[in-house]
Amino acid sequence: MATITASPPRVGLPALLKHRAVHKLLLLALAAAILVPLANARWASGTWPSALTVDFSEPLAKASDWIIDNRDSHPLFLYFFGHVSNVVVIAVRAVYLTLLAIGWAGVTALGALVAWRVAGVRLALGTAAAFLACGLLGMWVPTMQTLALMVAAVLASVVVGALLGLAAGLSDRMDRLLRPVLDTMQVLPAFAYLLPVVLVFGIGVPAAVLATVIYAAPPMARLTSLGLRGADKEVLEAVESLGSTARQRLLTARIPLARKELLLGLNQTIMMALSMAVIAAVIGAGGLGDRVYQALASVDVGAALAAGIPIVLLAVVLDRVTCAAGEKIGAEPEPHGGRGWLIALAGVVAVAVAGRLAGRLDWPDSWVVAIAEPVNRAVDWMTAHLYSGVPVIGGTADWAGHFTTWVLDPMRDGLQALPWWSVLLIVAALAWVIGTWRTALTAVLAMAAIGVLGVWKPSLDTLSQVLAAVAVTLVVGFATGVAAARSDRLERALRPVLDVFQTMPQFVYLIPVVALFGVGRAPAVAAAIVYALPAVVRITTQGLRQVDPAAMEASGSLGATSWQQLRQVQLPLARRALLLAVNQGLVLVLAVVVIGGLVGGGALGYDVVFGLAQGDLATGLVAGAAIVCLGLMLDRVTQPTERRAKKGA
Amino acid sequence: MTEIPTLEPPTEQTMDSSTPVFSVEGLWKVFGPKAERVPADPELTALDPAELRARTGCTAAVRDVGFDVRKGEVFVVMGLSGSGKSTLVRCLTRLIEPTAGTIAIDGEDVRAMDRSRLRELRRHRAAMVFQHFGLLPHRTVIDNVAYGLEIQGMGKAERRERAAEVVAKVGLDGMEHRRPGQLSGGQQQRVGLARALAVDPEVLLFDEPFSALDPMIRRDMQEEVVRLHHEEGRTMVFITHDLQEALKLGDRIALMRGGRIVQLGTPEEIVGSPADDYVREFVRDVPREQVLTVRTAMRRPSADQDGSGPAVRPDATVSEAIEAVARAGAPARVMDKGRCVGVVDSDTLLGVVAGTEQTAPPGTVQPEEAV
Repeated sequence: MATITASPPRVGLPALLKHRAVHKLLLLALAAAILVPLANARWASGTWPSALTVDFSEPLAKASDWIIDNRDSHPLFLYFFGHVSNVVVIAVRAVYLTLLAIGWAGVTALGALVAWRVAGVRLALGTAAAFLACGLLGMWVPTMQTLALMVAAVLASVVVGALLGLAAGLSDRMDRLLRPVLDTMQVLPAFAYLLPVVLVFGIGVPAAVLATVIYAAPPMARLTSLGLRGADKEVLEAVESLGSTARQRLLTARIPLARKELLLGLNQTIMMALSMAVIAAVIGAGGLGDRVYQALASVDVGAALAAGIPIVLLAVVLDRVTCAAGEKIGAEPEPHGGRGWLIALAGVVAVAVAGRLAGRLDWPDSWVVAIAEPVNRAVDWMTAHLYSGVPVIGGTADWAGHFTTWVLDPMRDGLQALPWWSVLLIVAALAWVIGTWRTALTAVLAMAAIGVLGVWKPSLDTLSQVLAAVAVTLVVGFATGVAAARSDRLERALRPVLDVFQTMPQFVYLIPVVALFGVGRAPAVAAAIVYALPAVVRITTQGLRQVDPAAMEASGSLGATSWQQLRQVQLPLARRALLLAVNQGLVLVLAVVVIGGLVGGGALGYDVVFGLAQGDLATGLVAGAAIVCLGLMLDRVTQPTERRAKKGA
Repeated sequence: MTEIPTLEPPTEQTMDSSTPVFSVEGLWKVFGPKAERVPADPELTALDPAELRARTGCTAAVRDVGFDVRKGEVFVVMGLSGSGKSTLVRCLTRLIEPTAGTIAIDGEDVRAMDRSRLRELRRHRAAMVFQHFGLLPHRTVIDNVAYGLEIQGMGKAERRERAAEVVAKVGLDGMEHRRPGQLSGGQQQRVGLARALAVDPEVLLFDEPFSALDPMIRRDMQEEVVRLHHEEGRTMVFITHDLQEALKLGDRIALMRGGRIVQLGTPEEIVGSPADDYVREFVRDVPREQVLTVRTAMRRPSADQDGSGPAVRPDATVSEAIEAVARAGAPARVMDKGRCVGVVDSDTLLGVVAGTEQTAPPGTVQPEEAV
C-alpha cells in the first residue's frame, strides 16, 4: 500500500550551471560580450569587413603566370614535374594501348575471368555483361580511356598509400604526423583538389591522374596503418616470443594479419579513384567523365546517360569484385587455386588472339544501340508534361522553383544578412558544445579564413545550399533509418539499393537531376541529397541496430512501448552514430553541392569551374581554398571528440 | 594387504645441485615515467602501490621478486589478476624489459644478452604458450606449428616433418590443414602447445594457457600437460590464477600478490602452512585431504600396531589414506622404504579434513601428543 512519490527532479540554476554544455556556452557568451562590441566598433558592417580581407588573386595570378612562363625552362619543372608528367602520360598510354590491343573481346574475357577467380561465377557473368553493355552503348573507347587512367592512378595510389600506411603503422611519430592530414583529406570535396594540380601541371592527363592519386591514396594509407596497428597484440607477442626478427614479424605476421584492411583499402581506393577520374574530366581526364561533362554542358541528357551508365556499371563491378575478394579471406583456400588462374589466363589469351585474327579488335559500330535519341525524346516529353502545371501536385520545375524561392533564397539571404561575427559565434558555439575547444577553434579559424580570402558571400551561398540539403537528407535519412532498423524486411529491401547508390561516383548524380529539374541551385541540392542519403540511412540503421540488445531487452521487460524504447533507449545510446550520420551527411552534401557548380549551382563551385574554363586560376584557387575551409568547418563542427577522461586510470 | 596405488609425483625429480634453469633475483618491473629510479630508491620501494602512483606516476607490476626454477620441475606462479604474474613470465625472456634485478638462464645473464643472443634464447631455449593462443589465423595448423622452425630458417620439408610429429603428439592428427578459426578453443591451444614444443625448448613457459577454455576442456588440457611432463620431463613455468590448477600441476608454487611473492613452496606447504592471512584466505576452500599428505597427519607408530593394517606411502594424500583406512577398518601404516615411519587412524585423518590438526612443517613427524 505504500506509495512512493518521487519528486520531479528540479533543475535549479546551480544544477544547470554544472552541465558542461551550459558551462561552455556561458564562457563563450562572456568572451563574445567583450569581443563583439570591440569588433563591431572597429569594423561595423554586416558582411565580412573588407579591412580584414586579403586579396590573394593578384599574387596567385602572378604565381600562375610565372609557372606557365617557366614550365618549360625552370629546373624544378624540367627535372621533377616534367618527369612525373612524362611517366604518367607513358603509363596511361601504355595501359590504354594494351587494352586496345587485347580488343573488346579480350578485355571482356579478362574482366570476367578475373572476377571468376576472385569472386565466383555470378560476378563473372555480371562483369562480362557490364563490359558488353559499355560496348553496346557505344562507349567502348571512352570506357577504355577511363579504365587506363584508373589503372595507372590506382597502382600509384596503392603504392603511395601502402608506403605511407606502412610508415604510419610502424612508427608512432609518423602516425601522429600523418593521421590529422589524412583525416582532413578524407573530408575535403574532390573538387578542391583540382586546381592546385592544374596550377602545376596544366590541364591534361597528368593533372587528372595526380589529382586522382591525391584523392584516392589516403584511404589506402589510413587502412594500411589501421591494419598494421590493429593486429592482435598476443599474436605479435607470440611471434616475438619465438625469436623472430623485426623483418620476419612484419612479413609473416603483421602484413598477413592486416590483409582484410589492405583489401578494404584497395576497394576504397578503387572506388575513390573512379569517382575522381570521372570528375577530373573537368581538367582534361577524357574518357567517360568527359562525355558526361560535355553532354551536361549542352543539357543533352541522353548523351550524358549513355556515358553515365558505363560509369555506374564499372563502379558496381569493381566494388563487388574487390569486396568479394575481401570476404574470401579466412575461408578455406581452394585446392587447385594456381591451376584456375592458369586456365583463366589461357582463356584470355585465346579470346584476344581469336579477336585479333578475326580483325575484330574495335567494338563493331553496327552493334551500338543509340540510346541518346530516345532518352532525349523522353526527357522532352517530360519537360513538356511534367515540368510544370501538372494538376494538384505541380511539376518538377515548379518544385525546384518553389524550393529555390521558399527555402534556398531565404536561407541564403538570411545567412548573408547575419553580422559576420555572429556567424563565427554560432560556429564556435556549435563546435564547442559538440566537441572540444580544439575543434571549435579549428572551425572558427576555418570560417574566418573564408572571410579573409574575400569570398564570404559566395561561401555563405554554398553554405545555405549545404544546410538546406543536409536538413532534407537528415529528415528523410533518419526516418528511413529508424524504419529500417525496426523492420528486417525493409532493411533487406533497402540493402541492394543502398549498395548501388553508395558506389556511384558523385558526378553521375547530376544526370537525373538535370533531366528532372533543369539547371539551377535546386537540382544541385537534389543531387547532393540523393548522394548523401544512402550513407545517412546506413549509419542510422547500423547505429540503432548496434544498441546493446541487453538494454533493449531490459526496457522491453519493464513494459516499454516500442516508441518509448526508440526514444529512451535506442536514440540516446545511438547518439554517436547519429552524430556521425550528421557529419557524413555534411561532408558528402558539400562535395556534391560544389560539383553542382557544373549545373548552375553557382557560388564556390561555379567559381572553380569558371576559373578552370577561363584559365583564371586565381579565382578558382581562392574558391577551392574556401571549399577546403568550409569542409573543415563543417566537419569540425560536428566532430564529437571524447574528452581525455583517462588520467592515471 | 595390498598397498594402495598412489599417484606417482609427476617426475623423478633430479634435485641435484646443478644450476637452476631460471634464477631470478631482486626482479623489478615498473611501468611509468622514469621507472628506473623506483627500485633504486629505498624510500620509493617502501610505498604501497597507490602511494607510489601518486608520488611518481609509476606502477610497479613486479616488486623485488626472486626464485629459482629447478631443472625438470613444474614451477607455478599463481595470483589473481593484476598480481604481476603475466608481467613476470614475460620478463624471463625479456618480452617485457625488466627494470631492475637479475635473471639467469643456466647461469647465463639474460639481461646482458644482445639482440641476437636474446633471439637465440627465444628460438631454442624457452618457448611460450599464450592465454589466447596467439595463432596466425592465415596459416594452417601445420604451418602454425612449424612457424617457430621457419623463423629459425629451417627448410620447408624438414620443418613440416618435425611439425607433423608434434601435431600427432598433442593429439591433433588429421587436422593439419585446417585453419585456427575452424578449431575449438581446446584444439587451438593444442596448436599453441605444439608450436612451443616443436622448437624443442629447454623450458616451456605457460601464460594462463587454459583460462580461456571451458572447465571440461581445461581439465583435459591439464592432464595433457601432466602427461607431457611425465613423458619428457621438460622444465615448465606455469602462470595461472586458478588455485586448483596450481595445486594439480605445480611441484612448487609461488603465490603472488601486488607484484610480490608472498609464499613459495610445495602445494602441501601452501595449503598446510599458509604464510599469512592472505594465503590462508586464499586456500580456505581447498579440499585439504586432497593436497596434504599423510606425513602431515601421521603419529608415531605404537608397538602394538606394527605389522597390521594397510600400508600407505608417506607422499600419499590424506584422502587416499582415508579410503585405505575406511576399507580396512583399521589404522594404516605409513611405510617408507619398507620401514614403518608412522600411523594414521581415522582421528588423525579427520583432524586434517577439519583443519584442526596442529600445523607442523610438513615432512617432520608429528609428535604423538599433538593428536
